[in-house]
Amino acid sequence: MSTVIPAQVLVVEDDPHLAAGVMENLRAEGYEVSVASDGEQALTWLTGHDCALIVLDVMLPGADGLSVCRTLRARGNTTPVLFLTARGDPADRVRGLEAGGDDYLAKPFHLQEFLLRVRVILRRWDWYRNASATSATAMLRFGGNEVDFRAFRARSWSGESQELTEKEAMILKVLAEHVGQIVSREDLLERVWGYDVFPSTRTVDNFILRLRKRFEKDPANPRHFLTVWGVGYRFLTEGEP
Amino acid sequence: MKATRVFQLTALVLVAVSAVQVGWWLFDQHAYTVEKVSAARAAYAEQVAAAQALLDSGAAPERVRQLLPGIVISAGHASLAPELAAALTSEEHRRSRQYAWEGSFFLLALAACIAVIARALRAEAHVREQQDSFLALVSHQFKTPLASLQLSLETLALRAPSPEAARPLIDRMLADLARMEQMVTQILESARLERGRVDLKPEPLQLAAAVSRVIAQLAERERPESVAISTDIAPTLTVVCDPLALDVVVRNVLENAVAAVKSAGGGRIALSARTNAQEIELQVNDSGVGFAPAESARLFQKFSRLRAGASGYYGTGLGLYIVRRLLELAGGRVSAQSAGPGKGASVRLTWPAAAAQATTPAQTAVGQETRP
Repeated sequence: MSTVIPAQVLVVEDDPHLAAGVMENLRAEGYEVSVASDGEQALTWLTGHDCALIVLDVMLPGADGLSVCRTLRARGNTTPVLFLTARGDPADRVRGLEAGGDDYLAKPFHLQEFLLRVRVILRRWDWYRNASATSATAMLRFGGNEVDFRAFRARSWSGESQELTEKEAMILKVLAEHVGQIVSREDLLERVWGYDVFPSTRTVDNFILRLRKRFEKDPANPRHFLTVWGVGYRFLTEGEP
Repeated sequence: MKATRVFQLTALVLVAVSAVQVGWWLFDQHAYTVEKVSAARAAYAEQVAAAQALLDSGAAPERVRQLLPGIVISAGHASLAPELAAALTSEEHRRSRQYAWEGSFFLLALAACIAVIARALRAEAHVREQQDSFLALVSHQFKTPLASLQLSLETLALRAPSPEAARPLIDRMLADLARMEQMVTQILESARLERGRVDLKPEPLQLAAAVSRVIAQLAERERPESVAISTDIAPTLTVVCDPLALDVVVRNVLENAVAAVKSAGGGRIALSARTNAQEIELQVNDSGVGFAPAESARLFQKFSRLRAGASGYYGTGLGLYIVRRLLELAGGRVSAQSAGPGKGASVRLTWPAAAAQATTPAQTAVGQETRP
């Protein structure tokens, strides 16, 4: 898809030089680029437009990038976000990912690395969209739960309706593609977060815990999301006998 | 640094323990004295009782007086000699007084020690905190122009653009370098002001000439096309000021105004000056992004940057602080007003009039003693 219609990228950066540099390079790579110089402008733009990726500076005048990202996620917007920031210590990265960001790049950054990360995020989303493109792959049913990958929604066995985050949906997607097989934590990290294995394998465990809470009748004794000690996880649609 | 802190904390603990010990010693000594005196009183009471018993059994008062010398007998009734009773009381009081004086002196000395050490520890923590926030801020401020510089250079390397296409990139890089240079200058200037290491040599200077020199430098470096600068300063107007300091003051205020106007997408800056018997005033009005009136005092504090970007999106938060310090050293002052965000701003710089300044040259002599 992205080869036919150029992917639209929104760059939110208050420094005019950086914004111009990022914009020109993304254009040179064939992306459509729009620029916003603060969070408010970005949120306004996003109410009227769709895009494939948001490159979001953390330190913005007014509302900062983290709160812009949180607002987006609260609105149900699942567009991937690549954070740019002058602060790159681990705590800041964690904050960015917790706010719903997909990746995090510290300033000053290497142009090639930046372009690579943009490609990886877009490719991940291409994979996810393609893997959910047909009516057969868009839905997943197991143990009375029903997951709609395209709408990021699910209905659990209890009849409760659930909103999925993009990471939860992606993890479910990877597991659903390998029903009955062992999927390692590293594989999950690689497929869902990309090559930048920054979030530790503990992050994966936390996401699995959340999925169990959403979809298992007894999260303490899971029948669908099984832990394979020392290796990773196995997903069963029928439930463990 | 760490060893000093450990030493200070150890000393603090030792002194505090000593204070507690002195307190205990005081209490103990007092209790001991009270105990001793009451034991002596009890012994005397027994002697009085024995004397009375002897008298009652018919012993001669003379004989009783010989056996128990501290007893006085009058009309067949034995009692303790008044001078002995008085001596006991006075001994008790003397000891109590002595302990109170000595103890309070020790406690006072120890309290002074505790106060000195605690004060040093607090001051050190404050300095460390300031250094940390300074480092964090400076590194953050440098990273944006650095990132932009790196991006431009890597773009040149990756895309090998034509000379025409490369021109804007090169301009951007030069501007980024200028930004960083400005930051280094400001950081050094503020550090020197902080330590009082400024050697100001006041001399009469034409304000109009200084202002136009700064405007020319600015135009050369930044080419702010979207900013129209006008001046209305009488060429005869003279301020007595250090030439470099005047340059720094005018440059910082003007750079600030340019950044504010640029952030607002362009506009005007008007400089005007007037004088009365006591003061010379330079006013810089801009049509830039302005600021909330409540923020006007905060503007001149170190590291204060306004969210609306009135101090420039790349400001260090030091520019107006430097202006204020330099003006204070010259016996002048600075203030800023704005009707609110988006409504422009006005900065007013005031120097003492030349005549008044000339009579008090010592005002600018701060820091001269630090020069060898």
